[in-house]
Amino acid sequence: MMSIFNVKRVNSKFAEMKMLTKLRYFSSLISLSLMILSLSVIAVKGFNWGLDFTGGVVTEVRLDSKVASKDISALLSLASEQEVSVISAGEPGRWVLRYSLPSTQEDVSQHAMDIEQVLQPLNSDVEVLNSSIVGPQIGQELAEQGGLALLVAMLCIMAYLSYRFEWRLASGSLLALFHDVIFVLAFFSLTQTEFNLTVLAAVLAILGYSLNDSIIIADRIREGLRTEPGLPIAEINDRAVKATFSRTMVTSGTTLMTVIALWVMGGGPLESFSIAMFIGILTGTWSSISVGTCLPEVFKLNSDHYRLVPVSDTP
Amino acid sequence: MEKLVRKQGAFTANYAMKRQTRKKLLNHNSPWKYGVLIVTIIVMLLSALPSLFGEDAAIEVSNKAGLSVSLIELHKQLQLAGIDIKRIDQADGQTLVVLAKQAQQTQTKLLLAKLVAKPEHLTLALAPAAPSWLLSLGVAPIKLGLDLRGGVQFLLDVDLEPVYRLHGESLVDSIKQFSREQKLMGTQVRYGDDDSIILVLANSETSDQYRQFIRSQHPRWQVKQEGDGILTVSLKQTEKELLRDFTVKQNLQTMRGRISQLGITEALVQRQGEHRIRIELPGVQDPAAAKSVIGATASLAFYEVKPPGSVNAKILRDDTLTPVYVSRKPVLGGEHIIDARAGIGEMGGAEVSITLDNAGGKLMSAFSRDNIGHPMATSYSEYSRNAQGEVSQQTRVISIATIQSQLGNRFSITGAGDYQEAQQLALLLRAGSMTAPVTIVEERTIGPSLGAENIVNGFAALALGMAMTLVFMGFWYRRLGWVANVALVANIVILFGLLALIPGAVLTLPGIAGLVLTVGMAVDTNVLIFERIKDNLKQGRDFAHAIDRGFDSAFGTILDANLTTMITAVVLYSIGNGPIQGFALTLGLGLLTSMFTGIFASRALINWAYGRNFNRDVRV
Repeated sequence: MMSIFNVKRVNSKFAEMKMLTKLRYFSSLISLSLMILSLSVIAVKGFNWGLDFTGGVVTEVRLDSKVASKDISALLSLASEQEVSVISAGEPGRWVLRYSLPSTQEDVSQHAMDIEQVLQPLNSDVEVLNSSIVGPQIGQELAEQGGLALLVAMLCIMAYLSYRFEWRLASGSLLALFHDVIFVLAFFSLTQTEFNLTVLAAVLAILGYSLNDSIIIADRIREGLRTEPGLPIAEINDRAVKATFSRTMVTSGTTLMTVIALWVMGGGPLESFSIAMFIGILTGTWSSISVGTCLPEVFKLNSDHYRLVPVSDTP
Repeated sequence: MEKLVRKQGAFTANYAMKRQTRKKLLNHNSPWKYGVLIVTIIVMLLSALPSLFGEDAAIEVSNKAGLSVSLIELHKQLQLAGIDIKRIDQADGQTLVVLAKQAQQTQTKLLLAKLVAKPEHLTLALAPAAPSWLLSLGVAPIKLGLDLRGGVQFLLDVDLEPVYRLHGESLVDSIKQFSREQKLMGTQVRYGDDDSIILVLANSETSDQYRQFIRSQHPRWQVKQEGDGILTVSLKQTEKELLRDFTVKQNLQTMRGRISQLGITEALVQRQGEHRIRIELPGVQDPAAAKSVIGATASLAFYEVKPPGSVNAKILRDDTLTPVYVSRKPVLGGEHIIDARAGIGEMGGAEVSITLDNAGGKLMSAFSRDNIGHPMATSYSEYSRNAQGEVSQQTRVISIATIQSQLGNRFSITGAGDYQEAQQLALLLRAGSMTAPVTIVEERTIGPSLGAENIVNGFAALALGMAMTLVFMGFWYRRLGWVANVALVANIVILFGLLALIPGAVLTLPGIAGLVLTVGMAVDTNVLIFERIKDNLKQGRDFAHAIDRGFDSAFGTILDANLTTMITAVVLYSIGNGPIQGFALTLGLGLLTSMFTGIFASRALINWAYGRNFNRDVRV
């Protein structure tokens, strides 16, 4: 079924093939060192957890564009015992105010300030665009739920992979998956971009998408192992990467284009989501070619692992 | 000798056989398949269309409100006040004022309140903006989440601890009384962890007596021997769950009743998890009014009924506003009620059995002894804070029953109507006992301007992403590219159609992000197929056969590639909440529709256009 590469072309392109293998190993080395770097970044810097997970109050207001941030801070610190952070939200006059809540059993809104009242002395029209008050126990629960979702999704995917592919082949896709998720997390840790529920959703979506490329290459590798059992595994992997390369580029390209559209047009609430998806898709493509194909070679995957079960004469 | 069978070989042989049998039918779809395809797309298009027009903010004036002016006058008055009116509909005495600007909804409601007799019958509503011929087909626009529409959302926590504690206290009282009656001296009763009660017996031989008593009198509790002369009594797990369910349901019911006073047609009150209640109020811009209604407290009281016209009495009203004369002071208040459940009595009629605490039991016993044969009224009051912060009280009589005999701390009320009405009464009685305090643990407000901004941004991103993908595919794959593009457009139409059709499906901002991602990923199905077709052409097959083999060999890969994303979508949907569920929904649905259009619809198109093209020099 698979004889895309006729013998002549294989011979003439032998040198290049070697080159591709080298390239794959080289990129795997980069990936591995980046992974170690990413893990240390996460360990050192931690995350800037969003309101969804920590609880607290976030209010977005629109004021007269002449109002300076220090005036707002001054008024807020008069009204609140908690430290209130004032962050500019893109356009002039638009501010995000954030502070934490004391952990009590009472209604959360009792501890929230009436922002319109507090900012009255500014002599500006105060428009509250949105406001979220999340109790500390809810944040805790959401964090636990999010962790659980990540874990369950990982387990389901592992179960699926081990059912669908031989373990040596599956290990590559799995490493690629960890690679992508860790890389995205490290980005959020390094830049201290707020990690909220939407970003978590993006991370979970990356779990699905990252595997997409790996699985399509793995499918070809399996096909190669079955149809041309004599070839060395590096050769089979090179061919699988080449055969799927244009597809990988086209699909990653269109998905990246739409994510960029989301990034450019989607506005503030979807910004971190788009960034996470963007990085996830980039590394997903990269890792499916690098670590995704190299790990099975390290584990010495060969055609024997896809040799078909002997049928015994005696039933 | 061992016989090795190559699966691949077997597969090819099998395949060849299949090819032979359908040789005549290469690249042929039967007419009914085209029929299914066309019908699906038309139905989905019709279902998706109303969402294109969106919804307008409106005020519903029900016929109970008593509109005092004519429609023309109404129109004139509102216009004078600067309200931008789109249209005013009137049907069955109900008037719908449709506005051009959502921001004017609250202002219009205030204006209308002056023109009607009963302002409480005005409700904020949404009217589909689609032409009426479209709406008459029974299709509705996609429901938007709060992050797109603007509004207030609360998450309430129902505290169950006091409920369990109350039951515990009642049991402790009962055990103490039993000890006194049976002259079992020196028994210590104290509260343990986890709402359990610990009995330390002076004489371990009496343990059987206690076990017997609890089993017969308090079957909802279980007794465990902890050591010599120590018994631990705790609520059975099933009872605890039942109690929790009862309490949360009762709170749900109460909240629904209270929220309906706010006059918001599409308010949502639903249970979340074990002991949480989520309330969504679309269109509400000020959470203060909603909070005072949610935070209202209810109480219940039993009164002696006096003959009509009595001087030394107070007048309460029942549901039909008939006055009921009752004693000035209630016999006892709802704080003494521990439990109320509906059931079927000995005579086969519905009844509500009530359990009082010990103090309540004594009061009731003393009162009922002197009043056998007399009626007793039950009243239900709700206290709420209005916008000015004043407490207002609403009281009504929910039942009048005749006392048949002397009552203790467990008695039942009959004559409350059928079983359903008895259940309703039981619910009110439990609500009135106010045993489970409710606290707001999360409050989110999304201003209407931000909601509108989110919609504009989201759909701009969708349009841009879609346009870029269409152009790219058109250039990259040329003649097959347009097939992929038609499939992509059909995919989005079906996706919107499904979102509007599926009950409970809500479009949120992350949901739009899911749609945009779907656009990028949907072409993958076509790309996989086209690459295989290219491979087959390179191997020297003619176009028609390359198409056939391309589709066949790509199918397995497509399934594999989509399944992992499907797994994460399902996990996200089942574990996530609100907006995240919206994302999981569009992501998952998008996968399904992209498989349908990518495989089925584009195959149909390609078969129709190129199915008989046996040219070997085609460039794709």
